Amino acid sequence: MKKLIIGLGNPILGDDGVGWKVAEIVQKSLQAQPGYRLPYRPSNSKTIEHLSPVEVECASLGGLSLMERLLGYEHVILIDSLTTGQNPIGSVQVFPLEKLPHPMAGHSASPHDVSLLTALQIAANIGANVPLKIDVVAIEAQNVYDFSEALTPAVAAAVPVAVEQVLLLLQEAP
Amino acid sequence: MTQRITIDPITRLEGHGKIEIFLDEEGNVANTYFQIPELRGFERFCVGRPVEEMPLLTNRICGVCPEAHHMAAAKAADAVYHVDPPRTAKMLRELLYSAFYCTDHTTHFYALAGPDFVIGPDAPVAERNILGIIHKVGLEIGGKVIQMRKYGHTVVEMIGGRKVHPCTSIPGGLTKGISKEQQKEILEMGKWAIEFAQFSLKLFNDIVLGNKEYVDLILNDIYTHRTYYMGLMDENNHVNFYDGKVRVVDPEGKELVKYAPQDYTQHIAEHVEPWTYLKFPYLKAVGWKGFTDGKDSGVYCATPLSRLNAADGMATPKAQEEYEKFYKTLGGKPVHQRLATHWARLIELLYAAERWVELASDPEITSDNFHTVPTETPTEGVGIVEAPRGTLTHHYITDERGVLTKVNLIVGTTNNYAPISMSINKAARNLIKKGTVISEGLLNMVEMAFRAYDPCFGCATHSLPGQMPLQVTIRDVNGTPVEVFKQFC
Repeated sequence: MKKLIIGLGNPILGDDGVGWKVAEIVQKSLQAQPGYRLPYRPSNSKTIEHLSPVEVECASLGGLSLMERLLGYEHVILIDSLTTGQNPIGSVQVFPLEKLPHPMAGHSASPHDVSLLTALQIAANIGANVPLKIDVVAIEAQNVYDFSEALTPAVAAAVPVAVEQVLLLLQEAP
Repeated sequence: MTQRITIDPITRLEGHGKIEIFLDEEGNVANTYFQIPELRGFERFCVGRPVEEMPLLTNRICGVCPEAHHMAAAKAADAVYHVDPPRTAKMLRELLYSAFYCTDHTTHFYALAGPDFVIGPDAPVAERNILGIIHKVGLEIGGKVIQMRKYGHTVVEMIGGRKVHPCTSIPGGLTKGISKEQQKEILEMGKWAIEFAQFSLKLFNDIVLGNKEYVDLILNDIYTHRTYYMGLMDENNHVNFYDGKVRVVDPEGKELVKYAPQDYTQHIAEHVEPWTYLKFPYLKAVGWKGFTDGKDSGVYCATPLSRLNAADGMATPKAQEEYEKFYKTLGGKPVHQRLATHWARLIELLYAAERWVELASDPEITSDNFHTVPTETPTEGVGIVEAPRGTLTHHYITDERGVLTKVNLIVGTTNNYAPISMSINKAARNLIKKGTVISEGLLNMVEMAFRAYDPCFGCATHSLPGQMPLQVTIRDVNGTPVEVFKQFC
């Protein structure tokens, strides 16, 4: 199963970038495992067939752009910050994309175009190769308004928890 | 009894925007407020960093138009180092930028603006989206939109080194050029983009201009404001997205000023209101007279419609034809009807595609001369480009090592904060009257007033609250909700 793990958010906007931090650690953990190969990046700009069994990446995308990035993968894990205001700061939730609290939650939507779910529907309509399974690992964030490269303590403490959840999801769907 | 209607957040737009509509005792609109929380501390975050990091850092201010910030930052960094990039570098940057414009304007029309016209402003919200367009116009349209976006991303990646967040612009030019094979590929994609832009204009012509109801809606006074207009122009006063001088025309279309980027502080000032953190830029020469239009009010607008109004024409032939048709159809220059911005945006889409082909056809585009090494001591510089949603100004001051000591940005949408607020107010006052049944369709028509501006408040790369994308709450005098409207997009 061709897999993509993608950390979403803005890496310079405090807790908003927690998805990136988790994805970076997931990538390091995977590299330490035998049989894992780094994603092959060609020097020219053409997209080529990815050689690694699991690809890990960080992105500031949503909506149509995020959908476009997910095409061709069978299993995708999105790591993202959420600000529901209802869960304790730093709590980690895991759910399938369809169970997202609402269509515009997290970074799945680009409010400038459409929600990821709508974007995926468009892709399916035109016969594109949409993922069979999309999981979300969401971390409740606190500071998403002040530019900073640092996480607030409760969110920083959630990073290893989220990493473990991502690795568990990988094991569950080999 | 005072009622408050809240539209929160705004459908299909930046998630944190909020419109508050206050009704008076009679049930008429007393006042409206359009609020957006500001992301804080960007200047502080930048100070102390080398200026050459700015084209990468400013990419991250906003997930909607990182390419625009990359370009404005690159131009400001050129200015800080007093270096003029070679012709090839300028062409490559503008080529990347033209491709980005095609992607961005396409997305706005088909995902945000189009549904109101193709499906109908008061159609059920479940249908009033891009899927509804695909359903109504045909499946192939979805494929074309995705294809256009893909071509745009491909060019951005070829020249900018990465999709979406380019990383190749540095003070003095670019870190890489393109090969002859890439040039050929870019050219072919550009020719397809021209056809796509023409297809989009035909769609607009058939579906919108061919429907009297929609034409009347566009020409309706409730969506009209007579303000000043701003846009970046080349030496012939033709619209240019990447380079030139900023031209401002008055509500009658006469030039007020045409200024070079470094002179922006002489012409633009910012007004502060107690109910919002965001400032309202206005024209210094005219002055701030409140949220009002007309020649005596310094409120200006910077949008696709503004650029067309501020220009004497378009630099490419097919776009020029459409430009002439635009003003002929709408009764001459300037056009003040804000909903006409959607048409103007499609004319710009055609211009961007034509410019893409023009630049890709230039034999010098594959030259190795894509960087001038800066040799002067860095000091201060301003870079201005036209972001799709308005004139974008980056202003940096550094010490002699090129380390930033001051940063000031006026982003595209900020220019339009006053006119957007005015448009919402006017639409709400006209649409919501004593005894009006406040329906979702009616509130969508209020939203249409500002959707025309393609507003973006830099939070697309930003966590959104786990709430409905649109929630309208009507409260009684005690603040108790008496009715709640919700919708998905």
